Amino acid sequence: MKIDNELILNVAKNARLNLTEDEISEFLPQLKEILESFSKIDKVNTKGIDPSFQPIEIKNVYRDDEIGKCLSQEEALKNTQHKKEGYFKGPKVI
Amino acid sequence: MKISEFILEVKSGNIDKEDYINKVIDEAKKINKEYNYFNTIIEKPVINKGKLNGLPVSVKDCICVKDIESTAGSKILKGYAPLFNATAVQNSIDNGAVIIGKTSQDEFGFGGFNINVGIDFKIPLNPFDTERVTGGSSGGAAGYTQKTKFAHFAIAESTGGSIVNPASFCGVVGLCPTYGLVSRYGLIDYANSLDKIGIMAKNVEDAVTALNIIKGYDKKDSTSIKDTIDLTKFLNKDVKGLKIGVIKESLKVDKPVNKAVWNAIKDLEKLGIKYKEISLPLTYKYGIACYYLLAMTEASTNLAKYCGMRYGLHEELKGNFNEYFSQVRSLGFGKEVKRRIILGTFARMAGFRDAYYLKAAKVRTLITQEYRGLFKKFDILLSPTMPVIAPKFLDTLKLTPLQNYMMDILTVGPNLAGLPHMTIPCGQEKGMPIGLMLIADHLKESKLIQVAGAYERK
Amino acid sequence: MKENETMIGLECHVQLATKSKLFCNCPTDATEPNTATCPVCLGHPGSKPVLNKKALDFAIKLCLALGCKILPSIFFSRKTYFYPDMSKNYQITQYEIPIGVNGSITLDSGKKVNITRVHLEEDPARLVHEAGIYISEYTLVDYNRSGIPLCEIVTAPELSSPEEAREFLKKLITLLNYLKIFDIDKCIIRTDCNTSIKGYERVEIKNINSFKDVEKALGYEIERQKELIKNKLKVERETRAWDEATGTTITLRKKETEEDYGYLYDPDLTKIELSKEWVEKIKKELPEFAHEKVERFVRQYKIDKEDAKIIAADPLIVELFEKVANKIAPELAAHWIRRELLRVLNYNKKEIYETKITAQHLIELLFLIENKTITERTGQKIIEKLVEGPFDVKAYIENEGLVAVSNINELTKYCKDAMGENKKAVQDYKSGNEKALMFVVGAVMKKTKGKATPKEVNQILRKLIK
Repeated sequence: MKIDNELILNVAKNARLNLTEDEISEFLPQLKEILESFSKIDKVNTKGIDPSFQPIEIKNVYRDDEIGKCLSQEEALKNTQHKKEGYFKGPKVI
Repeated sequence: MKISEFILEVKSGNIDKEDYINKVIDEAKKINKEYNYFNTIIEKPVINKGKLNGLPVSVKDCICVKDIESTAGSKILKGYAPLFNATAVQNSIDNGAVIIGKTSQDEFGFGGFNINVGIDFKIPLNPFDTERVTGGSSGGAAGYTQKTKFAHFAIAESTGGSIVNPASFCGVVGLCPTYGLVSRYGLIDYANSLDKIGIMAKNVEDAVTALNIIKGYDKKDSTSIKDTIDLTKFLNKDVKGLKIGVIKESLKVDKPVNKAVWNAIKDLEKLGIKYKEISLPLTYKYGIACYYLLAMTEASTNLAKYCGMRYGLHEELKGNFNEYFSQVRSLGFGKEVKRRIILGTFARMAGFRDAYYLKAAKVRTLITQEYRGLFKKFDILLSPTMPVIAPKFLDTLKLTPLQNYMMDILTVGPNLAGLPHMTIPCGQEKGMPIGLMLIADHLKESKLIQVAGAYERK
Repeated sequence: MKENETMIGLECHVQLATKSKLFCNCPTDATEPNTATCPVCLGHPGSKPVLNKKALDFAIKLCLALGCKILPSIFFSRKTYFYPDMSKNYQITQYEIPIGVNGSITLDSGKKVNITRVHLEEDPARLVHEAGIYISEYTLVDYNRSGIPLCEIVTAPELSSPEEAREFLKKLITLLNYLKIFDIDKCIIRTDCNTSIKGYERVEIKNINSFKDVEKALGYEIERQKELIKNKLKVERETRAWDEATGTTITLRKKETEEDYGYLYDPDLTKIELSKEWVEKIKKELPEFAHEKVERFVRQYKIDKEDAKIIAADPLIVELFEKVANKIAPELAAHWIRRELLRVLNYNKKEIYETKITAQHLIELLFLIENKTITERTGQKIIEKLVEGPFDVKAYIENEGLVAVSNINELTKYCKDAMGENKKAVQDYKSGNEKALMFVVGAVMKKTKGKATPKEVNQILRKLIK
């Protein structure tokens, strides 16, 4: 599998990161080295093995449908500068 | 002064809480000027009532403290003041702790030397030698715990070794509990299936006292374990007859480290403990790859929320959402963060997901089985905590990112498997401390405490 | 081009009527923006989700009602993408395996529409574009909606027309009402439609809010695609939005590069085992379904089976009927509800929940009809008016003087007057022309301003003209 500038740029775009030319040229060999090293896990025989997405098997955790305390509008908006008339302001969608 | 002693001194009136805290803050500021252990020092901390009697407690910057700037060491969270306390912090406050400040760390926990600090943050220096690293990612916590003359414990966090690594490099006790024992509510996530909140302290008794306080079931965290055991009762238990497995692969380290660890094993033998050399071939061959692939994929989703809305770094609202988000994220994240987001995003993309993310999850099952199989025969597994003493800053600059990752070789195993593990100082080289790591089975902190306590007392 | 070459698949996102949100305790209803939020649904760093069991109960209920096979255990995944309505820039949803598979809804024509999957996910926030989506320099965001439980229902692309799509959605809403997992006043259904002409690219129309709009949007879109094909132009694979103002669909984004969501098992949540006992318990809570109701109505109320069938198809109508049948002769109630009320509703393309008609309105009206205080014709007019808006039936009848003329003496007087004014017609009737009597009846109706019953007038006239 080819790790090149195009792939890095595609992935960065997906993750909403603008990379400078310098960053791309710095990252390319580093990422290649890392992925090549990590690829060795495909040598492990995992036939019939279930994946572990948590270290300990935890299951059946849920809560009752009860209403709890909410933040006030003021508290909710406290940490942002971008707000207007009780709403959060965000960038436009088009 | 031990925590238990401090509590008694306050009770008897020999120590005045307010006075003590003032002195602590003054010292913290002095230390910080030289060593950069704190991102935030709380000038006038709140002195809470409870059995800890006003004990100073520091909190790693990725663990939320209400109304106090919590940045996880990143520029993208500069100015973010949480609206709530992390449960571990709240438990401390409810028991009479005084939160004195937020300790420095690698940005979002992405590092093993605490040199990957966020943009505009300062790198903490090793308390024994300012030309060397503290270790990471909980470097500030470890450095301060060593340096302070006052009674204290540090609330820290580990994903791949970030408690025991800096604790080892700074010569303090680091205790990382079973995954789920301490609630993760309020912990700014690195990797949700790997993150654990734990403790650093000057001695084993303090560490256990502290863990006892912060642990416990929390209904706000779906992965929280129901547990009410009083861990302090294991401190003075006899260790005769306990069986320790010494991890063969872990001994291929720097000579001084190897020597210090073998001395420790001999000391433990004198206490009546039996040891045998054992092997963890899968873990040592594939642990790093498995850990980093899982950690980075989870991290890449956890860090998606930082985009200049609702909290943290803001830019002027111009451009469409893709342009705005990309601008904020590119300005706010450091290099290592960008690298890990790219790697993590890649490993879960269609076409690569099976070979990387899913495969790593399967390897994790095998690694966990490898450890748990050994725990059927052994009470504790043992290894050095780190393969080297704290390296010099200049030497770390020569390392590629991959070589940085490889330094975690000894610690990723227990972190992947969610096993409780602990480091205690066991020797030194060139004036630099060496750490001995003990690993126990799930929810068997009791055994760690027994052995660590006995070793410390010897 | 044959009609059956149109292929439509629907993805319906139904807001469930739980009290609290899917992963936090915030209430699901609030009016002022950003007044029902917390660190979890705002995506604050360090916050963690905890699953609302009721939402899962509701989803299982729906799966059972749709005849789905229920999976033995489920888990949640993160779907990562960036948008201003996302509180975490990943949505907690179910990707790899849903809660139920292989269900169906059968249309009146007998056509079975397959439902491929049903699963749970969280709603994103609500966006407000002050000056319209194109002009606004920024977006306003209200996180009250963020985290509300959504049940997603996905159909196979088996619907062949906008009308079928509309019917499917109507039946789905009826079912959701029956199950009481959806509040018609507060909850919203948003539908994404995937439509293509066989052999050509598929177009997605996102976020349509009502089944009527779905029908309109699909109608427009299918025509648009057919036009392109007729003129040998390319049908682009893309995502479009329905613009109500212009009655058209418009391009949102091209789909050549599909966003890679990079699905991940969500490690903050746990696997949930849907045990046999759990599913059985919910099965027991399922309400009586339509066909069971029909049998019961016929048995219990002794009403006509066809009337029963039509009433049973809509739980709100069922509720109405059963309340009215408590006080009014069931046969009369069934007749008026089926043949009058539903007729008028259909004619005006309105659903019962869009009017404010209560059982009380109907009880009052039918009582007056039952004891002949008003004529059936008046009754019909009242129904038509009630569908437009609610009012006090009794008061209206009194104020408008609509009380039927039923007093024999009064009626007889009107008849005698009419006979006097229409002597020729009376003569014709006497000579054997039955139709001529109708003319006189008509005259009496005119005099009474329609407040007499034609049948009665007929009888009186026959007696008088002897």
